Amino acid sequence: MSSPKRKLFIFLFVAPAFIILMGVVVYPFVYNVVLSFSNMNLRHLKDWHLVGGRQYLKVFTEPTEPNFYIVFLKTVVWTTVNIFFHVVIGVFLALMLNRKIKGKAVYRTLLILPWAIPQYIVALTWRGMFNYEYGSINLVLTKYLNLPAVEWLKSPTEAFLACILTNVWLGFPFMMVVALGALQSIPQELYEAADIDGASWFHKLKNITIPLIRPVMIPAITLGIVWTFNNLNIVWLVSNTGEPSDQTHILVSFVYKAAFNLYRYGYAAALSMIIFVILLFMSLTFARRAKVTEGAY
Amino acid sequence: MKKFILIAAVAACGIAALVLAGCASKSVDLRRIVIWHQMRVDERLILESQLARYMKLHPGVRVEAVYKETETLRSDFIIGAIARQGPDLVYGPSDQIGPFQVMDIIAPLEPYLDSGWIASFNPKGLTWYKGHLYQVADKLGNHLTLVYNKKLITHPPATDSELIAEGQRLTDKRTGQYGLVWNYTEPFFFIPFMSGFGGWVMDDEGRPTLNSAGTVNGLKFVRDLRDKYHIIPAEADYNAADALFKDGRAAMIVNGDWSWSGYKKAGIDIGIAPLPVITSTGLPCAPMISPKGFSLNANVPSEKIPLIIDVLKFLMEGENQLETAKILNTMPTLKALYDDPFIRNDEILINSQKQIERGRAMPVVPELRAIWDAMRPSYQAVLGGAKTPEEAAEDMQELALKKIEEMNE
Repeated sequence: MSSPKRKLFIFLFVAPAFIILMGVVVYPFVYNVVLSFSNMNLRHLKDWHLVGGRQYLKVFTEPTEPNFYIVFLKTVVWTTVNIFFHVVIGVFLALMLNRKIKGKAVYRTLLILPWAIPQYIVALTWRGMFNYEYGSINLVLTKYLNLPAVEWLKSPTEAFLACILTNVWLGFPFMMVVALGALQSIPQELYEAADIDGASWFHKLKNITIPLIRPVMIPAITLGIVWTFNNLNIVWLVSNTGEPSDQTHILVSFVYKAAFNLYRYGYAAALSMIIFVILLFMSLTFARRAKVTEGAY
Repeated sequence: MKKFILIAAVAACGIAALVLAGCASKSVDLRRIVIWHQMRVDERLILESQLARYMKLHPGVRVEAVYKETETLRSDFIIGAIARQGPDLVYGPSDQIGPFQVMDIIAPLEPYLDSGWIASFNPKGLTWYKGHLYQVADKLGNHLTLVYNKKLITHPPATDSELIAEGQRLTDKRTGQYGLVWNYTEPFFFIPFMSGFGGWVMDDEGRPTLNSAGTVNGLKFVRDLRDKYHIIPAEADYNAADALFKDGRAAMIVNGDWSWSGYKKAGIDIGIAPLPVITSTGLPCAPMISPKGFSLNANVPSEKIPLIIDVLKFLMEGENQLETAKILNTMPTLKALYDDPFIRNDEILINSQKQIERGRAMPVVPELRAIWDAMRPSYQAVLGGAKTPEEAAEDMQELALKKIEEMNE
């Protein structure tokens, strides 16, 4: 194919994806950046104008209820705890499923189920399960374990814990599937060689399994961090929009409230840009520390 | 350089495509009317059948009804309006009129309607704001009432002391049976108790009036129902309360007119009664009353308005409103229908009407949104034991003022 024709060909192939990306990623992003420097709100929806960095200043200095710094701290705790359990449970189950066990397909299907159910349904079902009097969790605690019932949704700490428990249940199948894929790609010869050398189960895990699943797990964990940090659904629905007393917000539900409850679009755009920068920084730092670009072999 | 030209060409095509897409979406189909609404399934089915009738009568006209959850509808409508898009008619409760009017995204209706037609409606079904008519409702109310299970209660309580006595008689914690339930974490459901003790959310100027004896005593009353008289469950949000009543495990529920048909379908023989009178004040528990109706998108081209108004008038016709009233037990807004035998004799509608008369109109100003947001944390803190009612009332007021300032900055 001659050069101009070839270029036209490339152009035609790239163009559709490029147009879609421009429309759904680049344009909204740029628009959000512009809004974050504007005064767009209830009173200035159509006649908004640029006001410099005022909205950013407000995010850091305005004594909002709840406070930005506390919400940020809660978001970090939320993300860290969730990702920790997603990875630990996910990898553990993947290791179990990677063995020769009877009914592997059944177990695998059952364990993937949480991932297959829509988040909305999961959140509301768990909310019902956390009910003080009628929820199954308290019924198990009181009837079978002889423990006192917990006021899951009435106290801030317990409500936050309830959100975390729900999201842990919802999130581990993804890590399990990714880890299982990575485990199945490890050559069996490596384990055989280790067996000949008399390596223990722990040594094989430390020196073969973990290093070899790392290149697959790191991008999954990075994705997991971004998804969990921005997971509005679970916190919003399990805690019923931040109950009790707006104490169970994470940054993204805080933004949602500012934008759609109080119509503070400029402020919410600035806050979402700050979230973007935090996530970018966290992901890059994590990727660099974990040497994500290094090959496994 | 060649690479640069190629990238530039792709970018130019991309931008051109976006611009063209934008222009294309601006071409208007004058025979296609779009309605966004937040109606429940049973309401939705009636609307769709009525629209089908309209389209049969007007070949060539297409009317599409799109369901969106209340909050999604509001945010989508605002986003649509920013892009000068959105539906032709937007349907919902009247409290959305304030924000929409301030944002200049709905248009006054009275220039397109003759005064005789407007006068044929119950004034409570017409939402006027800042001198203009912004909403025409097909249903009056959206109000809370006392719903009771007739199998368990023969005479609904008329006062707070009767409510407590009846509640205690019907509560058996060991079997999980309660006298009364409602979504008592949400401030909208607290309003009747607040107003029963003489409180209200704002004054005529839209300034919050939350730090009042009415709020404090209302909070104490709700807390006492749970902690002193033990007639409500330890925890109940909307779904939990609804499920308890549907299962027959609660004798009474405070819920709105939207819920009645669901209870009937669940096989509960329901009765409706006005919320009780508070003996110490002599005031009835007054819920917020808000009509639900249609508003006109401000971005609609003027040449399309006659057809939109025609659709609106069709949906408001007596025959259609009566059909809705018969199926859903909702109160119509056309005055002529109030003489209809069904409206005059239906027990549920008679009691619903009594509650409407006792209720107070929901303010339509945008500040109400900030007030809900300010009430919720402290209200829940009282129920969680973290604040006293006095502290809560003070904090509600302070936070409401702050949030209103934030909203209006």
